[in-house]
This record gives sequence, C-alpha cells and structure tokens, in this order.
Amino acid sequence: MSITTTGNLGPMILQSLAPSMLYVPTPSMNYITVCDKISMPANGGTTCRFMRPRALTPPTVQLGNSGIDPPAQVPQRDIIDAQMAFFGTGCIINEQVILQDQEGVLAWVSERLAVSMRQAEDLILRDYIVSAASQLNAGGGSNGDNPTNLGITDFSLVATTLDTNNAYKFMSGIEGMDRFGTGPVRSAYFMLSSTELQSDFDSLVSTGSVSFLSQWNYPTNASALPTEYGSVANIRILTSSEAPVARGASNLGNDVYYNTVLGKQAVTHINQDGYSMKLIYRDPYYSGMLAQNATLAVKFSQAQAITQDTAIRNLLSTRLTSLGV
Amino acid sequence: MTEYSRMAKGRFTSTGAAQIINLPFKPDYVEMVNVTAATTPAQNGVPFATWDANDGQDTAIANYFNATPVLSSGAVTSGGISTFSAGLLFQFGATYQHTGSTDFSITKASPAVVTTTSAHGLKSGDVVIFQDLYQTSTTGMPQIDGIPFTVTVTSSTQFSIPWNTNQSNYTAFDSSTSTNNVGSFKQVLYPYLYAPGVSIITGITTGTTTTIDTTDAHNFVVGQEVAIRMPTVAGITPAAWGDSRYNSLPNSTIPGSPIYAYVIAVTDYNTVVLNINSTGYTAYNSNIPVANVSGLQYPQIVAVGDVNTGGVQISSGSALYPPPFIRPIGTTTVNTINGPAIQGAFFNNTSQGFIIGSGALTGLASTVLVGAVGNVIRWRAFLHDMTIP
Repeated sequence: MSITTTGNLGPMILQSLAPSMLYVPTPSMNYITVCDKISMPANGGTTCRFMRPRALTPPTVQLGNSGIDPPAQVPQRDIIDAQMAFFGTGCIINEQVILQDQEGVLAWVSERLAVSMRQAEDLILRDYIVSAASQLNAGGGSNGDNPTNLGITDFSLVATTLDTNNAYKFMSGIEGMDRFGTGPVRSAYFMLSSTELQSDFDSLVSTGSVSFLSQWNYPTNASALPTEYGSVANIRILTSSEAPVARGASNLGNDVYYNTVLGKQAVTHINQDGYSMKLIYRDPYYSGMLAQNATLAVKFSQAQAITQDTAIRNLLSTRLTSLGV
Repeated sequence: MTEYSRMAKGRFTSTGAAQIINLPFKPDYVEMVNVTAATTPAQNGVPFATWDANDGQDTAIANYFNATPVLSSGAVTSGGISTFSAGLLFQFGATYQHTGSTDFSITKASPAVVTTTSAHGLKSGDVVIFQDLYQTSTTGMPQIDGIPFTVTVTSSTQFSIPWNTNQSNYTAFDSSTSTNNVGSFKQVLYPYLYAPGVSIITGITTGTTTTIDTTDAHNFVVGQEVAIRMPTVAGITPAAWGDSRYNSLPNSTIPGSPIYAYVIAVTDYNTVVLNINSTGYTAYNSNIPVANVSGLQYPQIVAVGDVNTGGVQISSGSALYPPPFIRPIGTTTVNTINGPAIQGAFFNNTSQGFIIGSGALTGLASTVLVGAVGNVIRWRAFLHDMTIP
C-alpha cells in the first residue's frame, strides 16, 4: 500500500504571509507630550519670538499723608527667540516592488516614515533640553558617584526648587480612596526618565512622609499617562527607552541619566503654520522617462525654546542597580 | 549617473588642520585636489586623494611627490577622510586611559595641563570630559570629573583645560601611578548641537560689571539674557562656589521675579561680561575637598533669552544674511548651516557631511592630507545610487 505524503506530493506554494505585520519596537515619546505647542505664523520670518512680562514691584510702602505720588515703575519684559529649522527623509521605491510585492509596501513604508518623523520631533526636543536646561546632580543616593543614584531627597530637592521658582504643576492630585494598597498622589510636575531607572525607582527608600508610589497603586488610573511609572513627592515619572543617557560620563565612569523635571510652559514646541508634517507621495510618473520609481517622504519644520527656565531642571543621576540586558 | 545620486563640489584654503565640510548628505566617495601642491610639485606635497566608503572611515588613497619630485602613491590609514552625522547628543570619541602603552597626567596649575604619553589626537576647540581622577581614594582631582572642557592644544601630547587645579584640595594626577591606574578622558564629539545653552562656570571676576569664565564655549552674543545657578556646598569655607546673590531664585525686592543679567561684552569663547554689579560679593571658590565630590553641584550660566532685534551682523566677505554661529575656541566663529535668525535666538546646529583629516601617508610622516597652511583645496563629494558590489 502506498501512502501519499508531502514527501512526494508537497504543496505547490510553500509559504503564506501571516495576516498581520509584527510590531516595530518604538520608544515612548514623552518630550513632545509635555511641551507647550504653538504655530509660527505663515510668512512670519525665520524666528519665533516669545514675550514674558516681568513682575512689577508690589507697593508695600504706605503713601503717607503728603499727597505726593510715588515714582512710576518702568515695566520690563523678557524676550525669547527661537529659530525654525527644517527636516525630512524619504524612500525611493521602484515600481516593480509596488507591483510584485505582496504586503502593501507603500502602506507600511508610509507608516514608518510618519513614525520616524514623530520620533525626530521628540529626539530634537530631548537633545535641546539636555543642552539648554540647567542641571542638578543627584546627591541623595548611596553609590558614592557624582551624580549619585536617585534618592528620595533628590525628588524633594528638585520639586522644592521648582516650587520656589513658582513653576506651574501639570497635574492636580489624586485623592485617596478606600482601596487596599493605594495611596493619594500629590499635585505634580513631570519627570521624564529612562526605563533603565525603573528598578531604581522600585528600590527607593522612603524618607519621612515621602515614598515611591507605583502607578498601579494610584487610587485611580484615570489621569495616569500610558508611560507613567509612578510618583514620588510632587513628581510623576514618565519613562521611555529613548530618555537621554550619557554612557560612562559620571565621576566613576558610570552612565549618567538626564531626568528632566519640568512644569507647564517650561518648553515650547513651535511648528511652521501651513507647512509642518507633510507626507509626500510622488507617483512613478514623476521620475525619469520610463516612470520607474515612486517616492514617499516626510518633511516637517520645528523650533523649540525653553520658555520658562525657572520651571525646568535636568536632574542628573547614575544607577543603583545593575542593568540587565 | 542615475537619478537620485548626490553630488557636490567646493574649495577651501587649508589651515593645516582637519577641515569639516557640511553637506545635505553623507557622501560615499570623495575626491580632493590640492591645487597648490599640484601646481608647484615639491617633496611631500599631496596633490590628489580619493576616499571610498568601502575603504573605511578616516582613510584615503593619495598621490604624493617624492624627493625628485616625481608623483608616487600611498595610503592614509589614520587622519584621512571620514563622514559624520551630528544629529544626536552624547556621541563620544575613544577613551584615553592607562594601557600598556598609554597614560596621562594632569598638573596642579591654572590652567591645568594634561600630558599624554602618546598623541591625544585633539585640536584646540575640541571638548573632553574626564572620569575617575582619583590618585588615591582621597586625593586627586575628581572635582573636575564629568565637566565638559574645551581644550587648548599646545602639542600632540599636551593640552590645557580652563580650570584652576593649583589649589590645596587638588592633587596632581597621573594614571600611571594612580591606585589601580584609574582615570580616563574622552572627546565629546558634537558638543554644540543646540545653542546657546548651559555652561559650567570656572571663574568669576567681581566688580561693577561681572566677568564669567566657562569650561566650554558659552555661544552667547552681546544682548543675551542669562541666568546664573549658584549652588551651595555645605561645610566649605570660604563658601563654594560664589555669592548666592547671583542666583536667579526669587529675590527679596520682587518676590517670585527671577534675577537675570545681560551679556554686555563677549571676550572670547568662554568669557563674557555681564551687567551685574558684584562689588562686595564673595570671591569665586572652586577649592572643593575630594570628600564633597559625591553629589557635588556645579555653578552654571544658562541662556534664557535676548534683547536683540536684528540678525547677525555682516562683515567683509560674509554672506549678506549670515546664519547664527557658534564660537568653539578663541574668537573664531563657525557658521551654522541655517538661514538668518535674530542674534541670541535658540538655534539648531545639527549637520552632516565629511572631514578631510590632517593624517600622513603611511611611512611618510611629513605628508599632510589636508595640505599646508594656505594651500587651496578643491573637492568633490558623491553619494551614489548604485554601488557594485
């Protein structure tokens, strides 16, 4: 008796494409999330200008009974300028790819270009903040480095600094609820940190009334952001794998993490009105005489400025726990 | 030639040091002609050179004139032609540290002088950071670890950094004798991708105006509005770093209103004069004990705005609408690839392109790829659609 098997009658076509694409590992983009956003007016030159009035001296001295007016004050203002810059990238795709490939190459290349543009926006903001915001070195940790790993007192210090500078917090607090294992969350600034520090946050040692509260232990997660890891004192921590790390840059040659702590209006992202964020598809018709190649591209423009320097600090730290890879 | 290739050409007059060429692309092939050397053959002149990406970064194939002089050929294996993409922060060069054949030392001096046992490969204006400068567990100069310093190169094995280490709490450092031979430094490859920014203060001169020295280029212009962060260090006498009245924290006159200052003169890349009357303020003190290094905060000056209303001023030979610039060393300015902007604006200085290095042909130490000072160099750069293989 002969049995027909795939050894002598195999399928004519050996492969099928799985019904959905695999996901592309993509970092969370926290920097664009916390920026103020404005549009530069069209035909408005190269430079976006912000104006912030300065406070006037409060008249705390009584007038007395002389009938003479006190001298007038001269109002002052601070001006912040930022120059617009343009960015773009694209792909050239031969029509034979489009005609013969099975998986809709134009669709997924479009998606990747859009993501790369969004990621560029975020990375530019990230690097600008690293270069332009003033710094605090963590000193509350125990690893003896400079900066040290993060200690609870570092969170208190940076929150105190921003509070003293009269920065605006992003979030109002979350009241405590009668739920096991939860605790109230203070009104808070945001700290943009690296995912590599999450194990350090879990290891933070409570001091006084201040301790680390995991996002899962909030009374309600309704106001928690998708990348929120938890909170300490008046700071809610957002993590991303693309947060800036200066490898081997500490006193003892360890990695230095830039934990950006900021309030409202600290950083502003400026786009060019009527221009920004274009996805451009050009049919092969527009290429050479044989119309062989299509192009897909993105371009965008942006400027960025620290618009409240008193409301932002880069809290530099090293890491307490070793990093698994 | 295919439809999407990129080509560019240009010329420059050599300074004898590596030349950076900014382009809208990273080439995969570069040709250069030293017009001066080709026109006037002389021993060790390098009239022609090419570079291909497949040959590797920092290399070149070049012609040179021998003693006759007759044209011959050779290879550059270090200090050749390379491409760059300055678009992300935190790109570092190779770490220089104790090995079987390399060591370095730092003097107690102002400015501190770094001496290496082999060529450090830096040029004036480059920025470096140090790590682990512990001569022993309690001595050395770890106070300057992690600070970005602009170097002033005095020889191929020596450079200085703008910091006063000639103070009682600093001990001369030598990686060949430090405990466990610790200590290292490395170059920060693209330190000014965004400007102006924040700089660490290395000295303050008080008076009716206040002069601030920084450890690397401040990139401020006259009219820049700045703030000073002056941290405290517990238990230091006299107090570190400087007078707390510089601070931009809320003042007593108008609670909540930050204290800002304006730049009224730019002396050079790391020195500016501010309109702060600091007469009677305590003197700047960077004599910090080693024991205070863990968690040490540094004084900083940071750009917060400007009061300028016009673009960058033109000069003889400059573009009519010049872009903003950075000032990496001395009073030398380097334009960005941007269009014009208001002076003092925050601007983006990212770029890409290629570098013609100052390396020599193998076995011919007197040859210089980028030519001698004053040589006119022509170049062409390509990015090809098709490379076989």
